[in-house]
Amino acid sequence: MLNRETWIEIAHTVTANPLRTALTGLSVGLGIFILVVMQGLGFGLQNGVQQDFADEAKNSIWVRTGRTTLPYRGRQPNRKVQLRNGDEVRVTQEVVEVPEWSGRNMKWGSFVQYKNEQGYYPVVGVEPDFKGLEILPMAGGRWLHVDDLARESKVCIVGGDVIDGIFDDDEPVGAFVNLNGITFRVIGHFSKEGRWGNRMIYVPLSTMQRLFDGTDKLDQLILSAGESDLEESQSLVETVDADLRLVHGIHPNDQRALRVRDNQEEWAMFDRIFKGIRLFIWVIGGFTLLAGAIGVANIMAIVVKERTVEIGLRKALGASSGGILSAIVLEAVLITLISGAIGLMAGVGALSFAAPFAQHDYFTNPEVNLRVTLVSLLVLVLAGALSGLIPALRAVRVKPIEALREL
Amino acid sequence: MLALRRIEKSYPLAGGSLPVLKGIDLDIEQGEMVAIMGSSGSGKSTLLNVLGLLDGFDGGGYDLDGVDMAGLSEKQAARYRSQFLGFVFQSFNLIAFKTALENVALPLFYQKVSRRERQKRAMEMLGKMGMDDRSHHLPSELSGGQKQRVAIARALITSPRVILADEPTGALDSTTSSEVMEVLREVNASGITVIIVTHESDIAAKCDRVIRLRDGVIIEDGLSSEVVEPTANGAGPV
Repeated sequence: MLNRETWIEIAHTVTANPLRTALTGLSVGLGIFILVVMQGLGFGLQNGVQQDFADEAKNSIWVRTGRTTLPYRGRQPNRKVQLRNGDEVRVTQEVVEVPEWSGRNMKWGSFVQYKNEQGYYPVVGVEPDFKGLEILPMAGGRWLHVDDLARESKVCIVGGDVIDGIFDDDEPVGAFVNLNGITFRVIGHFSKEGRWGNRMIYVPLSTMQRLFDGTDKLDQLILSAGESDLEESQSLVETVDADLRLVHGIHPNDQRALRVRDNQEEWAMFDRIFKGIRLFIWVIGGFTLLAGAIGVANIMAIVVKERTVEIGLRKALGASSGGILSAIVLEAVLITLISGAIGLMAGVGALSFAAPFAQHDYFTNPEVNLRVTLVSLLVLVLAGALSGLIPALRAVRVKPIEALREL
Repeated sequence: MLALRRIEKSYPLAGGSLPVLKGIDLDIEQGEMVAIMGSSGSGKSTLLNVLGLLDGFDGGGYDLDGVDMAGLSEKQAARYRSQFLGFVFQSFNLIAFKTALENVALPLFYQKVSRRERQKRAMEMLGKMGMDDRSHHLPSELSGGQKQRVAIARALITSPRVILADEPTGALDSTTSSEVMEVLREVNASGITVIIVTHESDIAAKCDRVIRLRDGVIIEDGLSSEVVEPTANGAGPV
């Protein structure tokens, strides 16, 4: 079936009408190109969102407060709901049992100076457990200790972008930096993925509250759901939500005043969305490819019609039906495979070229993975075989005498 | 070698069928050179197609080399064609993108003969036809007579016992026709049965035996000297 003569014959018929072959190939190539590019875009979107999640542990629960929008128990709306240290203690000691937790206060755009270098970076007050709630790979030095919190130490841990920005080639650990006019000693530094993470400077929460805030206010409270599954995690969220609404007098339907966000649930939601997007892309890409395959089938039907006499003659000269069938199917597979491979390479090339220019908060690395490439190739071979099969079966049914009568 | 008994053949038409062969009885022995003559629509090409297993028949019997050919499958017919028969067509039916050598070698490809052997035998056959110097030419680069020589070489390459030629000189001028008939006579002289369908008396006169058909019935069957009238230019049986 795969001998030299067969390939020569296929090459002859493919090149006999180059424009038609090229146009047919274009339809398949375009189909696979669109499929690959759409897959790449889907992955880009997914990567962007995953990067957004990359900062945080998937099992963390984030508590944020805002202003009330609904009156409740005699209280007017537009009242600011403020978390305090007492809330953290009550929630973690009395309301729910969680393995790790931390308050989190942030000051965006804080003035930071090291020697003559200066810049503006977010300074974040956290507790030691925070390292288990947000992914922070240490690159040197150490993380916060409970003693730092107890002593309200003026120590900080800086991100890679801060080191690049103001430290030049100096060793950051042990260096002293000025944060909003107060000197802090750098005890560690980290390098992490994620959009914002590397710009952060972490200090003990107690130090931040005393030096910068002067109160026991908390911007956020973060809890770890530990090994809880999605159902248990949601139960934790409901319990915390109910406690804080009760204590702070927040209407049960007031979503702006209090938001307890379960990362696990959000992750599951995004996972569902992306599964849907991937399915959608496969369906669209599949139909595009199907259109190309129908084009090939159409052309193969024309080729068979044009070659009816030749096929009849070959049968008169001793060609078997199997040989004719395999040659036509192979021809269709060859057209789809070559043009599809070109479309595949063009798609991968286009994504590789466009990737550096297509970085966005929610879109990054529009790559095509090996699995998608292999599946696409498999789909191509099947599409090629199917598109050749129907015309080939018609060719096989050609009787020599009927073919020769067409002369 | 070839024996037809009461062969019936009809073609379906809207609202009925058109009988083309009406009870043909015919015996052709090994080594004969036979012309089948008749006017257009007489059934001569249909008879050739039945003899060549290119077309089936509705009634009667056909023995080829003592084997009953009734009810053959397409695959079985192909095997007998490949084993016993060679075909020469009026319009040559050479594959346009193949050289003379490749066209001649094609039947051997279907018999799974090795490439080297195919080329050797095809070249020898072209040499016998006086075409060895044109072996690498495409059909479009050959004259009508040369094309028909290539077609005859292709028909002979599998060493068939019968050559069936449908109007082999129909597309050729008289000089070239004579040359082609000379080639076919040489083929016949080697012991191969040659059956030619023609409507030309000059061509039929060069065969040993002539069968004349009219409306699907054999009306004459005899030596060419008995059946073919001498033409105005004096052509007659050889």
